[in-house]
Amino acid sequence: MSNPAVPPRSLAEALRARDDDSLAALLRARPDLITPVPTDLTQLATRAGTRASVVRALERLDLFALRTAEALAVAADPAPYAELEQLLTGDAGDPAVSAALPRSLGTLREQALVWGDDDRLRLVRTARELLAPSPQHPSPTGLGPTVQEATAGMSPGRVQEIVTAAGLGSTHDAVSAVASLTALFTDRKRMSALLADLPEESRAVLSRLVWGPPYGQVTSEPAAHLRRLLDLGLLVPTAPGTVVLPREVALHLRGGRAHREVEPLPPAVEAAATHRPQVVDATAAGQAYTALATVEELLKDWDEGGPAVLRAGGLSVRDLKRTAVALDVSEPVAAFWVELAYAAGLLASDGEADERYAATPAHDEWLEQPPARRWARLAEAWLTATRTSGLVGGRDAKDRTLSALGPGLDRGAAPEVRHRVLTLLAGLPEGASPSAESVLARLRWERPQRREEDLRSRLAEWTLKEAELLGVTGRGALSGHGRALLGATAPKTRDAVSRGAGDERHGQTLPGTTAPKTPDAVSRGTGDERHGQALPGTTAPKTPDAVSQGPGDKLPVHHRPAPAVAEPLSPAEQATASAAAARLLAPLLPEPLDHVLLQADLTAVAPGPLRRPLAEVLDVLADVESKGGATVYRFTPGSVRRALDAGQSASDLHAFLAAHSRTPVPQPLTYLIDDVARRHGHLRVGAASSYVRCDDDALLNEILADKRAAGLRLRRLAPTVLAAQADPASLLEGLRAMGFAPAAESAEGDVLITRAHAHRTPPRSAPEPVPDGPPVPDATLLAAAIRAVRAGDLASTTPRKQGDRPPLSTGELPRTGAAETLATMQAAVLTGEALWIGYVNAEGAASQRVIAPVRVEGGFVTAYDHTADEVRTYPLHRITGVAELAGD
Amino acid sequence: MNGPLIVQSDKTLLLEVDHEQADACRRAIAPFAELERAPEHIHTYRVTPLGLWNARAAGHDAEQVVDALVQYSRYPVPHALLVDVAETMDRYGRLTLSKHPAHGLVLTTTDRPVLEEILRSKRITPLVGARLDPDTVVVHPSERGQIKQTLLKLGWPAEDLAGYVDGEAHPIELAEDGWALRPYQKQAVENFWHGGSGVVVLPCGAGKTLVGAGSMAQAKSTTLILVTNTVSARQWKHELVKRTSLTEEEIGEYSGTKKEIRPVTIATYQVLTTRRKGVYPHLELFDSRDWGLIVYDEVHLLPAPVFKFTADLQARRRLGLTATLVREDGRESDVFSLIGPKRFDAPWKEIEAQGYIAPADCVEVRVNLTDSERLAYATAEQEEKYRFCATTATKRKVTEALVKRFAGQQILVIGQYIDQLDELGEHLGAPVIKGETSNAQREKLFDAFREGEISVLVVSKVANFSIDLPEATVAIQVSGTFGSRQEEAQRLGRVLRPKADGHQAHFYSVVARDTIDQDFAAHRQRFLAEQGYAYRIVDADELLAES
Repeated sequence: MSNPAVPPRSLAEALRARDDDSLAALLRARPDLITPVPTDLTQLATRAGTRASVVRALERLDLFALRTAEALAVAADPAPYAELEQLLTGDAGDPAVSAALPRSLGTLREQALVWGDDDRLRLVRTARELLAPSPQHPSPTGLGPTVQEATAGMSPGRVQEIVTAAGLGSTHDAVSAVASLTALFTDRKRMSALLADLPEESRAVLSRLVWGPPYGQVTSEPAAHLRRLLDLGLLVPTAPGTVVLPREVALHLRGGRAHREVEPLPPAVEAAATHRPQVVDATAAGQAYTALATVEELLKDWDEGGPAVLRAGGLSVRDLKRTAVALDVSEPVAAFWVELAYAAGLLASDGEADERYAATPAHDEWLEQPPARRWARLAEAWLTATRTSGLVGGRDAKDRTLSALGPGLDRGAAPEVRHRVLTLLAGLPEGASPSAESVLARLRWERPQRREEDLRSRLAEWTLKEAELLGVTGRGALSGHGRALLGATAPKTRDAVSRGAGDERHGQTLPGTTAPKTPDAVSRGTGDERHGQALPGTTAPKTPDAVSQGPGDKLPVHHRPAPAVAEPLSPAEQATASAAAARLLAPLLPEPLDHVLLQADLTAVAPGPLRRPLAEVLDVLADVESKGGATVYRFTPGSVRRALDAGQSASDLHAFLAAHSRTPVPQPLTYLIDDVARRHGHLRVGAASSYVRCDDDALLNEILADKRAAGLRLRRLAPTVLAAQADPASLLEGLRAMGFAPAAESAEGDVLITRAHAHRTPPRSAPEPVPDGPPVPDATLLAAAIRAVRAGDLASTTPRKQGDRPPLSTGELPRTGAAETLATMQAAVLTGEALWIGYVNAEGAASQRVIAPVRVEGGFVTAYDHTADEVRTYPLHRITGVAELAGD
Repeated sequence: MNGPLIVQSDKTLLLEVDHEQADACRRAIAPFAELERAPEHIHTYRVTPLGLWNARAAGHDAEQVVDALVQYSRYPVPHALLVDVAETMDRYGRLTLSKHPAHGLVLTTTDRPVLEEILRSKRITPLVGARLDPDTVVVHPSERGQIKQTLLKLGWPAEDLAGYVDGEAHPIELAEDGWALRPYQKQAVENFWHGGSGVVVLPCGAGKTLVGAGSMAQAKSTTLILVTNTVSARQWKHELVKRTSLTEEEIGEYSGTKKEIRPVTIATYQVLTTRRKGVYPHLELFDSRDWGLIVYDEVHLLPAPVFKFTADLQARRRLGLTATLVREDGRESDVFSLIGPKRFDAPWKEIEAQGYIAPADCVEVRVNLTDSERLAYATAEQEEKYRFCATTATKRKVTEALVKRFAGQQILVIGQYIDQLDELGEHLGAPVIKGETSNAQREKLFDAFREGEISVLVVSKVANFSIDLPEATVAIQVSGTFGSRQEEAQRLGRVLRPKADGHQAHFYSVVARDTIDQDFAAHRQRFLAEQGYAYRIVDADELLAES
């Protein structure tokens, strides 16, 4: 590595000085920097300075790191550590902020947003541009430009006037004048004295602008109290009518603070209620079981062909409603289950021409798995999916409704937010359920939202709801299996998270203690400790040790262990975690039963989940009346018939019930099955294309025995009736070929007499006459035509005033220059005279017209056209020329 | 996690009766859950808003309900359901009706937005008067019932703490000579008196009249008793004279034939709901005395106009007696708001187990229609179909065979169609009681039956209610009022009174196979099957072959 004694002169050099671990940390935090892999560090530094990358990095900062960057953006460039600290803590100082600053600065350094040692902290230029105040982009700090920037456009004379008014000696040039003014504004004592002299109204004006926006409007004749502020340079005009409060003045008024509130520590996630962990686990397990039952029910409902796929993709609102009713849940919840099954690969579109949703083969495999594994699969799919069912029913940017299973539901942030929310829950003691607001507040601190309409908060709210539905949480608290799903056993997770929740506190309270920390944490702890030593107070000069290597200089990179914000697990890790969760959940789920209780009121109660084969048969044999922990089935004639239709015999059913009932089979049920079986199949229904009927049994015997009849596929239904699969015409033909003389019968049983039919078209109307020439014009049309002809005639024959140009021959278009055309037109408007113009229409056809211009504007002339006898508008550029008509 | 209770997502509770904690669990959930079905192994209870409010009215709070569910449940109870229970129960008692020293009846709230919400309702506005303060509004005293009914419909049931008038005092004592109120009857009287007004649900034959008498002895005031018909009125009178200190002279009958108003008056629903020229001429009965207690017999049959009168009687104590809260017209919520919440109920089987009602053997006999009857049935007009299959000739043969089998026992043959009954009476040589039979004749026949002079009696539906035939041990039902569930319950009740010799009761229902008769029968029986009275089904041929 390079010599740390020489301060780096550029970001590239600063990067070069970093060790591999620290570079790795940078790339982990900003993965966009290595796609594609840069050739050298200079290129890496360049890429790290590109606008897109910096914006992305800034968006991922927590609130305090962002505040630090913002403060740095309004500080001098480069800024010493002390200045930055003062901007954040204010003149009064704030130990919490001071303690937290090394960490946040470390973060910025690690992400290559800040470089340089503590004496010369530099925010990368792009970040500075993004965060520094400008009239177009007001800074979140609410600060305005510096005196120097604000007075840049001012005349030197005016600057000298201000300097004098402020009671400073005049200088030889504007630069030094501004410098002395800046010095005045940053000197707290002199500044206080200066402000104390101001009238009350003037101070009120300043206090209105102090927290931003720093711009104000003034009239061209400002009142005396404003005048005074302008004279002293406490307000600087930026544009006519606009003044700005220079940054130094605002900072003085704010007590040196760049932000009104800094929030150095993340808000704690508060427990709203605490339940016994057993209760939480049991409730969650109960809900997990419900989740399985619901998904199974959904797919069973769609078993024989689910709803159709919309042309634009997704499920129609009506189908979603129907599904919600079938599952007995609200529509958003139904959308959640549908999306969950989809994310878990259990259902998909079948891709046929008439596209429908259906269960996938994976669904059948899934059904075979033990319940806990099935749940783990759902939970894992949910945790890692980018699809978000919460959006269903909303509208996208193009105002199209977002439908379940449809496009536009993917949100990249979803897996990370879900994981983060659950990790926050895991940070609470077992059994504690947090208040939603505190979780949201925490998330907002960790990732302040600027652009989007706070998608993360919505995602987090959905996460809390969905986790409860899925049984990851119970009564709002994370369950044991939910913890395992996050990839850590309970105690370890809690430690990691408390670190995440307040790692800065370690720096504060536990510097170098032997608190149980992971090795990573310890090394970071020492890093923090060093900060603690190096910076005992804000104003104290740095220790010799820290002069060359300030707090931030020690890139805390490799000392950053697991990132403060736990990241989602890799697929392999997630699989292990899911398996662990399944193991924890398995004993909590009810054991499937192999028996039911039969009752005389023709119900069967399964006092828990049933083994699959048993449930499948019962589903056919009886109607489900009530669901939940248990299932109540009711036997009805209809349901028993259904079982018989499915190929069961009455004795099968008796045997089945006897085998699976823990109680004697009630007599009414036995009777019901026998009674239905007695009548089942009594009537037979089939399809035949035609029949043969004959009173003579022997003749039908003969036909049946005949080999030639095989093709007709005849079957005897009754002694005197044969049914055939051939159509009546073929049957007739076949029988005739066999030497019989059959007659056709109508539906009513009459003998049909066959005779040739006359062929007819459907109703048709007679053809319309098509005349050869145009129709004879009527009187109105004729009058109009004549008038047009006359006007044209007038245009071509009226004698024109002869100018100094040679007279135009008849039929030739007048030609004048554009300027002359315009002038003549305008003159004609004033005099009301008619003009003779040459005009080329859009098709290029030239004509001569006589017009009386009314208005000339915007390249068009509006005129009364004598030729057409109406007011028309002509584009001037189509007018070839103009000539005055000769006087009468 | 091995409790006897399973909570279903449709808010039914399944109780496994053979479980060791089943009794404890039943006691814990009975206050708030309505027993819906009680077949042999698993009883079904339903949690309804009405039930939860009943529980609140009885002084239980949401925590107890949630505790009971959580404690006995075999599987985790869905959190949403618990929240819903708590929220529903929380709605009761936000509004209270009470007496104001200066303004009479007032409606007070503990939750101002609720009052605001209900005052905006168009249906409430005409019932209330001036707003006294932000939380109190005057209610017209005459609208006490109406406002309770309306508030219940709006989902904010009011707690009625306005109290009752004592009424005109009249000494009434139970004459417990050689008998005593059964423990459950005592409990019922106590619960009712403590609650002020309400409904006691007891199976037929479990001694509802005595609960009435006990309550009267508790009230010691003039009492108006409303019953379904004259025969029933006479029986009440008879029973009261026998069981209490009241004498014949103190009890008046107010019916179509007599119009007596005495300290204890028994009136029929029919006379009260008689309308002449658009007015109810007998309504003044309610005001004719300062009644301290009003008893409604067979609440499930209460005619709609009586509900209307009852709305005006909210200041008087009201006791409803019934075997079932199931109303074919679904007006259970009116019973709740106008008579009062359920104060006591006990499942039939439990009382049977205690030996207070006779065990019964219920059998459905399926008869086959003959081929010609089947053809006739298939072509019958829709409205004639039931009559046709219900009166098939084969039923007569079965009835005769049954009568022969139980010869010597007291047998009732019950039916719907007079022709059929007349024909049966003729064949069996038994007297027929029907609508046109005079009351005197009826009582004479009943007495003869009671004495054992007649052993077979054929009755039409006039005998459906409140007649007391203590020695009937066999009932044969040949046809019924379509699918009426409560009629079936009442008819079974005829044979459920405890027998002197501990004989088993028999209830036969003769049904024509593969017809709507069978469908109606199934519908009627479902109620009883759900009460634990399982039907056996036998074929008529088997039965005829046996005898």
